[in-house]
Parts: sequence; structure tokens; C-alpha cells
Amino acid sequence: MAFAGNATRAVSEDEFAGLVDLLAADPAGSAQLTDLLYEEHPVYDGRGTATVIRMRGWVLLALARSVLSDQALIFVLEELDTGIDAYLVAAAARALRSYPQPNETFAPFVGHALNQIRHHDEPLSFESYGEYATSSTGTTAVSELLATLAWLGPNARAILPQLEHWRAEHGLSRKLRLDLDRALQVIRGPTDGAPSCCDGLPDGRNIPIRTSMAPFESRSIGSIVMQDQDGKRLKFAEFFSGCPSIVVFFYTRCDNPMKCSLSVAKLARVQALLDAQGLAGRIRTAAITYDPEFDRAERLRVYGKDRAIRMDENHRMLRAVEGNDALRAYFELGVNFNGSLVNRHRIELYILDAAGRIAVSFERLHWDEDKIVSCAIETLKEKGCGSSIQA
Amino acid sequence: MMATKRKVAKKVPTRKKASTRKQTAVAPAPVHVAKDTDDVQRQLKALCDTGKPIEVRMAALQSLGAAAFSVPNFESVNADYIAALREVSTDSHEQLRRRALGILTRNKDGFAQKKLLAGLKDPTKALLPPEKALQLLGNDVHADAYAVARAIVKKPPNESAKREALRLLAADTKSAPLFEKVLGDKKEMRENRQLAASALNSLNPEKLQLQARKILKDKSDYADIKATSLTALEQFGDDAALGEDKALMQGVTRFGSSKTTAKYKQTARRFLSKYDQ
Repeated sequence: MAFAGNATRAVSEDEFAGLVDLLAADPAGSAQLTDLLYEEHPVYDGRGTATVIRMRGWVLLALARSVLSDQALIFVLEELDTGIDAYLVAAAARALRSYPQPNETFAPFVGHALNQIRHHDEPLSFESYGEYATSSTGTTAVSELLATLAWLGPNARAILPQLEHWRAEHGLSRKLRLDLDRALQVIRGPTDGAPSCCDGLPDGRNIPIRTSMAPFESRSIGSIVMQDQDGKRLKFAEFFSGCPSIVVFFYTRCDNPMKCSLSVAKLARVQALLDAQGLAGRIRTAAITYDPEFDRAERLRVYGKDRAIRMDENHRMLRAVEGNDALRAYFELGVNFNGSLVNRHRIELYILDAAGRIAVSFERLHWDEDKIVSCAIETLKEKGCGSSIQA
Repeated sequence: MMATKRKVAKKVPTRKKASTRKQTAVAPAPVHVAKDTDDVQRQLKALCDTGKPIEVRMAALQSLGAAAFSVPNFESVNADYIAALREVSTDSHEQLRRRALGILTRNKDGFAQKKLLAGLKDPTKALLPPEKALQLLGNDVHADAYAVARAIVKKPPNESAKREALRLLAADTKSAPLFEKVLGDKKEMRENRQLAASALNSLNPEKLQLQARKILKDKSDYADIKATSLTALEQFGDDAALGEDKALMQGVTRFGSSKTTAKYKQTARRFLSKYDQ
């Protein structure tokens, strides 16, 4: 495998681009390209955020040159759902067009991305690795998204009102009006008779959930020392055993409003739903930072308070003061670092059972608060199964 | 003698011409307020037109900055705006480069960050002086500038660059030991030591508390650094632990009765009164 082991950290950007091109040219290279989209891949370790963007963008563009697999689809949809970088969103839009068949469930993702990215669109160049466009003659993220809507055609009818509303706005540039009109024409056009393949997302991709048990010895996680928003220290096992818990990961310096800030604000809503059902004392919640060195107790408290997080003995903002690597390994966190600073991460929420083991996880795509509460209640009903974590 | 006179005589009109040009250069061109995206396109064209006087291009840039707020659906030409800014960020006119790179880096633009980092690593590629480049890279905590900033602190091209590098590193948790060293170094510029105190309070407040106590006990340290240390102890310190530190109380008493400003004396009195000293 071209990308394996610690040697990947020493790979230069140009070498990386060359290897991605080789994989793209190999009919059997798709799975290896998809592997490169996992945030925790060592090739991203120690790189800056802009570098990670260039590298991931190049992988997405390589995927766009062949047929997009079901395994890679989730990464493409994730970028459309939560991405704020024009290069990555545009590359994802292009990659989606290489999926074997247009699907109406893709349309809301493209519509959402369009809503996000239209406010900070950029000129883009996909000609060579790491190239930044300095003229507006090439493509942009909005152009790529509109091209993807045109590819979806009548499958994108669900977002017609959004597009029509946008088209009616005063002051749109001429180029955008033309691109929009072109997309609208195809979407309004007749269907070709072939029905959309599924009601939901293609097989296996309809929910970003994995159900698993913790693959590690619970002993390794139980002794992790954590600190809460008030500076109180406690072991992982003390908080995460006895009743089920809902855990989200975040960091206060995240500059993507669609990720950490939104996840923590949504956790506050989950807390309110639990409270409304009288479950606030039976199902715990925690928001754990990826960045424990910087996110000290005071920062955690203020960040939680600003997002209406309930903070008490059953609901805490936490950082690992000892054993952060074990924590990362236990949850198999989708995150990587440049020094101590996060350079890329996914959205991730876990429901732990009463023994502190992972019962369900929601990854990459935005989760629904009601669904989280339902899953947590299911886990509560199964309380008592399995052995507990030892501190 | 005649030859000299002729030379002078020749020079006079030349000087006048230069003077007229200079006057034109300093007079700001009127700023046209863009009304719609077509207007914005015209301003973008003017901005990128190297044949136009620099005042006109600067005025276009100013107008575009205002248009970004005022023109409905400016975002539909945002890609063109970014392209134009990237184009002029390598212009021969430094002020234009500086303004364009400033706008781009505030938007966390990858192109601008790459150019600025390249200039810091290789001065022959620098678009701006190192201190300005560091200041602009500081707009994005994820800009990957920590390694280059550390190198500049180690071997600074000038004092301003070192100060800006320290300022940038104030968000880097791995740089806490560096700030401890800078704060404790009496040979270091006092502005840098103040900056180090502030950075340490953010990155590792316990270490700042230890350093602050040490500084206040040191008879030879500077008054302004002692005042900063005292504020850190007063605002963020553990009152119980501080009250038991007799050497510290003596140090603060000495500081309050030394030849220092009334403001510093007052700070010392306020601190001591907390512990009935």
C-alpha cells in the first residue's frame, strides 16, 4: 500500500499528489483512495489545515475521475453537509457527479451546500495539485454545485423552491443568473422514465450510524483522568458508568460553525428533550474536547454556557488531563492534529451504555436530536448488559 | 560656472514636474460607491488594471470593500472579488499588496497564507515585511505558521518581527515554555515580557503564577514587569496560598515603597490590603 505506517508523515505534498494520481489510474485503487479520507490517517498528522484541505481535495477530485463507490459516498455527502471550504465543497460536488446514478436524496445535501458556500464562493483551479486560481475564468464552488444539480436533473425537484427564491433575488450577477437558469431548466425538465433508485440513501448509507462494542479493554479507558468545566477531576469510569450517556466531541477553537459550535448547541437541545421526559437524571450527557491543553476548565464552562448547555453532576463539559491518547483510541476519533491544534475532524456523537461501552455512534452527517434521545432511551432499556468499566 | 547654472536651470522644471506628480499621488481619488454587481465588475477591472494610476486602483479597492457590505447579492461576484484580490496581492505597489493580503487573510484565504508563509521561509519571495506577514497570518489560528514563527523568535530579522512572532505564538499551547523563558529573561525587551505574561496566562496560568511570584521577589526586576505580575496574582491567584507566602509579601511591600509611580504604589497597597499587610 502506498500510504502506510509512520513513513506517510514524511511524504511531501507533491509525492502525495503523485501517489493519489497513481491510485486514481488503478482500477483497484478506489478503496485506498477512500481510506485517505479518514481524518485520523497518519498522512495528515502534523500538517496545517490548508495543507489538509489541499490533500483531501485532491483525493476527492481523484474519486471524481472514476465511479464513486458507496463507501466513499458518505465522505462526499459529509463535505456537502458540513463543509465551509470552497475547494473541498466544489471537489465533493464534482465527485458526487461520478456516482453511478443520480438520486433524489442527494438534492438536500447539494441545496444545503449551496446555501452555505454562496456567501463565500471562491475561484478554483483543479488543473494541478495545490493550485489556487487567480482569475475568475475557471470554476467556483457555486458553479460546481449548480452543475451537480443539473446532473441530478428532476431528482433535485425537492429544492426547486429554494432555487427559485434565490433566482428571484435582486442583484444577482449575470453569470450566476445564466448558471441558475441552466440548472433550473434541467430540474424542471421531464423525467427520463427511470425512477430514482431508492427512497433513502443507497444501501448502507442511509444513516450515519455504526453500532459497535468498544474494541479495547475497558480497563485502558476507565482510568483516564478528566476535568470538568468547574475544574473538578474525575475518572472516566466514575462518570460514564451506572447509566447511559450521550457524548459529543468538539473543541472551542473550531472555526466551522457547522461542526463543533452546532454540535454543542444541539446537545443543549438534547438535554432539554431529556429533561422534558424526566430523564435528565437517568441519561447523562458530556461534551469532550479534542484539544485538552488549550480548552481548560474556564474555557469549557464559558463555551458551554454560551450554547445553553446544562452543566451539573450528570451533564458536563470535559477534557482529558491524563490519557488523551487512550481516549482517542477508545472512540477511534475522526480527528488529526498539527502539533496540539486540530487540523481536521468529523462530527461525532456516541451513545454509551451503562457500562461505558459504545452502543451507537453517529458520525459525519448532522444528527437529529429526537433520534438521539430515542436511541439513548433504547440503550437505557437495555441497561445492565455487559460488564462495567474498571477504574 | 555657467555649466553649473545651466544644470540647475534644467533641474528646476524637472523638480516642478516631479512635485506635481507627487501632489497627484497623495491626493486621494474620489471613491465611487458601487450600486450593483455590474458596478462591482467595473471596479474590479479598475483594481486589476496596472495601466491605471495607483490612486485610482486604491480607490477601487476601497469602493469594493464598501460594496461587500452594501451591494445586494455581492456574494454572487465574491469569486471574482477574491480572484482580483489574489491577482493584486503580488502587485508591484506595496500598499496595494498589503491591503489585498489583509482582506484575504481576514477571510482565511489559503492562497494568501501560502504566499506569506513562503515569504517568511524565503525572504526573496516575501510580498510584505516579516512583521506584517506574521500579523496577517495571526488572523487564522489554523494557518500553520507556528513553526516559522518559532524560527523567527530564535533568529529574528528585526525586533518587530520577533514581537509579532511571539504574538502569533500566544495561541500555541506548545509555546508555553518559550513564554516562561521570555518572561523570566531580564535582558528581553519589556514589551515582549509583557506579551509573554499575557500569553502564559492564557496557555498555562499556573506557570504564570509561579513566574509572577519569582519576579516580585526579585529586587532587580523592572517596575512595569512587577506591576504586571502583581495584577496577575491579584486577579487570578490563589488567595490562600499567596497569603502564606511571606517572601512575596515582603517583595510587594518593597515594591510599594520603592521609587515607582503612584499607580504602581496603589496596586501594591491594594494587593497587600487583601492580606491585612
